[in-house]
Amino acid sequence: MNILIIEDERSLSHEVEIFLNKQGYQCDVAFTGKSASEKVFINTYDFVLLDLGLPDMDGLELLQEAKKAGKEAAFIILTARGATDDKIKGLDLGADDYLAKPFSLPELQSRMQAIVRRKHGLKTNKMTIKDFELDILNRMVKCKNKDINLTKKEFDLLHYMALHKNRVLTRNQLTEHIWGDILEDDYESNYIDVHVKNLRKKLSVFAPADFIETVRGIGYRVNI
Amino acid sequence: MKLQVKIAMYNAFSKAIIIIGIGLFLPVIVSQEAYNHADNRLMARKAKAMSMLKHHELDEIIHDQDCTFDDYNIFKEEYISISPVAKLTPDFGKEKIENVAMNIENEVVKHRVLSQGFIYDNQLYNLQIGEGLKTIEQFNISLRAFTIKVLIIVILLSIFFDLGFSRILLQPFNRIIKAKLKDVTHPSSFQFTKIKTSTTEFAYLDSSINEMMIKIKEAFDIEKEFISNVSHELLTPISILHSRIENIIADERVLEDVRLKMVESEKTLIRLSKIIKTLLYISKIENEQYLKNESCSLKTIIGDVAGEIEERLTDKNITLTQEWKEDFIQQSSNSSLLHTMFFNIINNAIKYNKQDGQIKIKGYKGERDFVVSIEDTGIGINPLDIAKIFDRFKRFQNEDGKSFGLGLPIVKTISNFLNIKREVQSEKDSGTIFILRFPLI
Repeated sequence: MNILIIEDERSLSHEVEIFLNKQGYQCDVAFTGKSASEKVFINTYDFVLLDLGLPDMDGLELLQEAKKAGKEAAFIILTARGATDDKIKGLDLGADDYLAKPFSLPELQSRMQAIVRRKHGLKTNKMTIKDFELDILNRMVKCKNKDINLTKKEFDLLHYMALHKNRVLTRNQLTEHIWGDILEDDYESNYIDVHVKNLRKKLSVFAPADFIETVRGIGYRVNI
Repeated sequence: MKLQVKIAMYNAFSKAIIIIGIGLFLPVIVSQEAYNHADNRLMARKAKAMSMLKHHELDEIIHDQDCTFDDYNIFKEEYISISPVAKLTPDFGKEKIENVAMNIENEVVKHRVLSQGFIYDNQLYNLQIGEGLKTIEQFNISLRAFTIKVLIIVILLSIFFDLGFSRILLQPFNRIIKAKLKDVTHPSSFQFTKIKTSTTEFAYLDSSINEMMIKIKEAFDIEKEFISNVSHELLTPISILHSRIENIIADERVLEDVRLKMVESEKTLIRLSKIIKTLLYISKIENEQYLKNESCSLKTIIGDVAGEIEERLTDKNITLTQEWKEDFIQQSSNSSLLHTMFFNIINNAIKYNKQDGQIKIKGYKGERDFVVSIEDTGIGINPLDIAKIFDRFKRFQNEDGKSFGLGLPIVKTISNFLNIKREVQSEKDSGTIFILRFPLI
């Protein structure tokens, strides 16, 4: 998949590029609004990651022009401005998602995957991990045709780890995914450990859940 | 008391003093004048009597009447008497005028009496000419009654007119207060148009308020810009570091102990980013960058929070019960802010609760407000600390030492923004009750 990263902070676009390349995406970068707009109109991208605070133009303007020109690319807005108005305006103008800086890279990837799922219909809405089947649309997990009763957060956690299978996710990345919007007063809670413990307990009733591995000192990994 | 009423009362009071003064002195002055007139009349009559005496017109009366003569008119209003005097007194011959109470035919009548001694045919006589005082006194009484009536009428009229006039006079003042201060909730809704008034003082007040509003608006705009700049300038480098650290952690070629250190760095970075985000969040609410345009059901929002926080309850085996007499819909509210506020309060109730503890949430209509109380069976707060729990970066219950001390300041900011009153009651080691009061209108 082709991705255009529009970001005037070169270090940031470089890190995003490293991450996405590793996940198998083809990345192109633009550091100014002018070059970004040229690239958007000449090339075809699946995703455009758009920073709103560009030095030479407003990112929203670029979005509006691209959408007017009928560009198919999915736009994800990345911004540090964090103004709620901008978020609503961006989504109104046709952006597919919005991420406030600082964001977590796996989170960016999972948002992209969600957009792909949305755009390409229901085919990819089921996922299997060993003996377990995840129905993403209905947030249900089945094992040998039996329903497993998971809470919303437990399901999100399992789904997120499965999306990033065979990769270590830190507690912070998991926390950000399932508690993302809430500004919590704690900075070192053990809730992720509690969730994983409960998840393992519930799954292992039906089949072995040893595919959820604890990576000492770092976090968790789902091995498939 | 209203200025309008005050002005009317001061006016009525000053008029009353003037009129009471007139009411007290007028009868005195008038009666003095009446006495002067009476005295003049008496002296004229005396002169006439003397002249008659000179022309021997009174000889007959003096001689025939056994040396004493009294005469009254029918209504006892006037009288004259000539009587012989036996002995010569030092002041004999001097004219004397005084008020005398006389007993005439068993009736005491007050008279103004002029006495004058004279010698006629080598005999000493005393001439007395009198005039009744009844007329003067009656005039005084009716004058007083009239003054009192006028006084009351004038005061009533004056209160009536002053109230009406000051109401008209104060209209621009009320308009200024309403348009410039009362109806304004945010600098974006400031009205800078001048209020029409011919009163210099009100025009001055209006222009002073305008000047102040311009300053406030400038300060607000500066703060808004500052928040936006801080967001961008601080969060962008954090974002770069965050992505870089994530890439290092994910890189299998990196040595494990380095990756472990990177995980710790990620934690520190997230802590920094959360503090900045929280402070920006508080500033944005205080800068009124959140809209109040939703109708929010408290029961629904608390239900959502309870669902979201379910695992945390289970983890400590805490029972959360809800008792709603009725739901309450807050108008002109913001659901995301309410959600955050309740999340922070309920999360605290879990965090500082004991294993197998309880949380009771109650919602009911009070006399003047809708009350939501959140009661826990936790470790409680030291009474001395209750006043300070809403201060930023103050930590009292940090047995785990892992909070910023910004949870309750957020609650404070949101509740202030949405006009919700807060109360905290707590007893050390037995629990805390958090009470939120929502205005009914």
